[in-house]
Amino acid sequence: MRTVLRKLGFYLLTAWVAISLNFLIPRVMPGDPAEHLINQFHGKLGPAAIQALRVLFGQPDASLWTQYLNYWHSILTGDFGISYAYYPTDVGTVLGQSMFWTLGLITACTILGFVIGTGLGILAGWKRGTWLDSLIPVTTFLSSIPYFWFAIIIVLVFSITLNWFPLSGGYSVDTTIGFSGDFIASALYYAVLPAATIVITSVGGWLISMRNMMVTTLSEDYVRLAEAKGLSRRRVMYKYAARNAMLPSLSGFAMSLGFVIGGSIVTEVVFNYPGLGTTLFKAAQAADYPLMSAIFLLITIMVLVANLLADVVYVFLDPRTREG
Amino acid sequence: MAMQPAVLAETTEPIEPEAGRLWLRALRAPLTLTGVIITLVFVVLAVIGPWIAPYDPSAVSDAATAAPSFDHWLGTTQNGQDILSQVLYGAQASMLVGLGSAVITTVLSVLVGITAGYLGGTSDELLSLLANVFLVLPGLPLTIILAAYIPHSGSLGIILVISLTGWAWGARVLRAQTLSLRKRDFVEAARATGERTSKIILRDILPNQLAVIAAAFLGTVTAAILTQASLAFLGLTDVTQWSWGTILYWAQADSALLTGSWWWFVPAGLAIALIGTALSLVNFGIDEFINPRLRQAGIATLKAQRAQVSRRRTKRVRLSGDRQPRPAGAPFTADSTDVVLDVRGLKVNYGATTAVDDVSFTLRRGEVLGIAGESGSGKSTLAYAITRLHKPPADIPQGEIRYTNADRSTVDVLAMDDEQLRAFRWEELSIVFQSAMHALNPIMRVGEQIEDALVAHRPGMAAPERAARVVELLGIVGIPADRAGSYPHELSGGMRQRAMIAVGLALDPEIIVMDEPTTALDVVIQRQIIDKIMELKDRLGFSVIFITHDLSLLIEMSDTIAVMYGGKIVEMAAAQDFHERPQHPYSRGLLESFPTLSGPKKELSGIPGSPPDLRRLPSGCSFRPRCPAAFDACAEHEPRLYQIGASSAACLLYSDDHVVKMGESA
Repeated sequence: MRTVLRKLGFYLLTAWVAISLNFLIPRVMPGDPAEHLINQFHGKLGPAAIQALRVLFGQPDASLWTQYLNYWHSILTGDFGISYAYYPTDVGTVLGQSMFWTLGLITACTILGFVIGTGLGILAGWKRGTWLDSLIPVTTFLSSIPYFWFAIIIVLVFSITLNWFPLSGGYSVDTTIGFSGDFIASALYYAVLPAATIVITSVGGWLISMRNMMVTTLSEDYVRLAEAKGLSRRRVMYKYAARNAMLPSLSGFAMSLGFVIGGSIVTEVVFNYPGLGTTLFKAAQAADYPLMSAIFLLITIMVLVANLLADVVYVFLDPRTREG
Repeated sequence: MAMQPAVLAETTEPIEPEAGRLWLRALRAPLTLTGVIITLVFVVLAVIGPWIAPYDPSAVSDAATAAPSFDHWLGTTQNGQDILSQVLYGAQASMLVGLGSAVITTVLSVLVGITAGYLGGTSDELLSLLANVFLVLPGLPLTIILAAYIPHSGSLGIILVISLTGWAWGARVLRAQTLSLRKRDFVEAARATGERTSKIILRDILPNQLAVIAAAFLGTVTAAILTQASLAFLGLTDVTQWSWGTILYWAQADSALLTGSWWWFVPAGLAIALIGTALSLVNFGIDEFINPRLRQAGIATLKAQRAQVSRRRTKRVRLSGDRQPRPAGAPFTADSTDVVLDVRGLKVNYGATTAVDDVSFTLRRGEVLGIAGESGSGKSTLAYAITRLHKPPADIPQGEIRYTNADRSTVDVLAMDDEQLRAFRWEELSIVFQSAMHALNPIMRVGEQIEDALVAHRPGMAAPERAARVVELLGIVGIPADRAGSYPHELSGGMRQRAMIAVGLALDPEIIVMDEPTTALDVVIQRQIIDKIMELKDRLGFSVIFITHDLSLLIEMSDTIAVMYGGKIVEMAAAQDFHERPQHPYSRGLLESFPTLSGPKKELSGIPGSPPDLRRLPSGCSFRPRCPAAFDACAEHEPRLYQIGASSAACLLYSDDHVVKMGESA
């Protein structure tokens, strides 16, 4: 329990760093992003909206400390300003629409990629020295491919050439968003290619690290002892080797998660998927700073929550962290 | 200086080629070599790309969206630009960002990692915390934000942004490395002599981390190229500067996909994937260099594979019902002929090196056979080979291990199939490992680790029965029953070792092999454990093969002693005889190199020289170079075991020739 609490503290600290970075970056960058942003709107903004943007991106007339306090006030009240790219919608609303798409897609794909990759890694480690070793160069190649490029190729083959799946979007335009069977079926259908892209390109990393950990673990004394005890291969493989080998994989989750999410964001752009990635792309194109920084914060929070969940699973799997 | 009593030179792995040669071997591995070659080709292309490009990459022409042809090998864009030229020019920008980011990132990682690891204390905590925070912050979104604030940023801006977000991983790894290096003797020694910190870091710490630094560097090159491509693809870099990402950006922007111009986006993506794969392959080579266990995985022989790969499930032989009761354990006497294990001519090879050579011995019911030897003498290899637990590249090319069943029939352990072997293990022969800390599964309760032997071998046993047996076993070794629910790390060192013994006793085996079961423990606990083992042996009547480098302990507890040297048994005798009349010069040397627990004071002499290198054994007798009694014939003839009274020794002093000669000259 104490481990989890300590981790929670650490993630809160990280969240604070992320938010503070978000505050600092526009203020240390050359030029005046706030001024630039306000000019972009060509006088379409009311004084309140301008004030809100100034609080978020720099008030040249206030001290840094006052700015920081004002900034926190905006963050805590959920006021992220008005989106330029989606004018006149405010940032909160834009994110509210797109985040569930990303959350659904990435959660499912990350878990799927982890499970498949780790599973294959267990097998490849256990049967090291067999044909399974030839999986390594193949998966290395797959995981070296830029996500978005793989997405392009997949679209070329399965949408344009074979016409099996839709080219882009998150759901068919003839359906309305809601809990109807039609809509869910359509959303799943549209998610196949983006999901396949993310899963296939992320599996390799998990596979290789798990395989190597498996090989390392297999020469541990406790695995040898388990074999000496005449336990069944299954039990030696899962209960002794794989369970121990998985622990570093889980604690490496943090690092990989950032990478997977980063890759997924760009993948969304290729598919014009209605999630955070596409939104971030549009925001970046339009120099929509309010939307960009809010997306960065949101993704950071999602990553932190996912890490915390991974830590809870870790504590559950490793009794050594359960002390006290 | 007092002599270390009764402890022979002890290191773990005898067969470990020097580091320098490993680099060469890593390079020779086909995959690593492929990686190195591809990487070099890309580096060369990046340098000479602009000179060999057939066209100006930005020059428009009439040949719009043309498929690959003789004029345009990789086709053209919508504006008739030559894609091959773009890819060649792009190589420069992409590789520049990759290498540039990797250089800066690595410098940052090394600075932070080594400072934190070396200084320790508060600065370590702060720097580690910072690294961990940056590790968790999602890199790409942060990079996107940073890049977006620098509109149309060139390569330098991108390099800085990538370095700023990417240093944490390397720093963390290097910190951990530095921390462990700092505690090593040679660094401690340098600190004690008042060496300057900067000098210690440069001379003692950095060189030992080169492999890790190289791995981090190559990893960053890949990541940076990918990140740059992503940013360029999103239009966040200067889109007029050609890089692989920019090519893909224009391909996407001009709907290359919809027009089916595959040649437009395939080459750039392939280039990124290829260089990434190549660098990863090089990194695998480095990984194997850092982690020797991975290296062994690559050299699994076909024979070993067969043992690794589970077969189609064969019919399980149920042993529970018709298990014959064993004859009651009778006290062992020296003239017993009740053999339970008969090892004949056993040989174990590690590749071309012979670690155990032509070893034969018998173990009788209730006997304690002590096997002594320095590290690399083959004693542990022998222990593993008896139970066929040897791992590739170890291999048993010849020999026989005959076990006598309760019904007096004998069976060759080496000839058993997988299922027979599984049933034989633990039921008839169990092992107690040297370090219980490592031999117990750290994430399983102790009770469960005892119980799963019961589950595997006594399928008919009900859960409550098993639980009762676990409690009984823990009681036998003196562990309170409530400790069954503890994890290994919750037990003290002595208790863990006793738990190991309880695991070993679970199925009431006929033989227990003990591989240095007390070496890791302090003397008092060691004594308790030994007394417990001897008490249990008398009570339960099993036989023991006890392996150690602690000769005084061995003499005290064994019935028979076998001394190993260079993979062979060089002397075998009853413990008493061995102690009083050691026959082999090596045995005499051993006995003279430590004080007896009781008995008169005497000068300790030790044995000059060091244990032999199994890969380059001397001709004739392998002890010859260190032997005070060596004579000419020792270089020519390999001594077999000669019988001297009740003892036997592999020494030419006892050969008939020599004995006769000595008689003549007398």
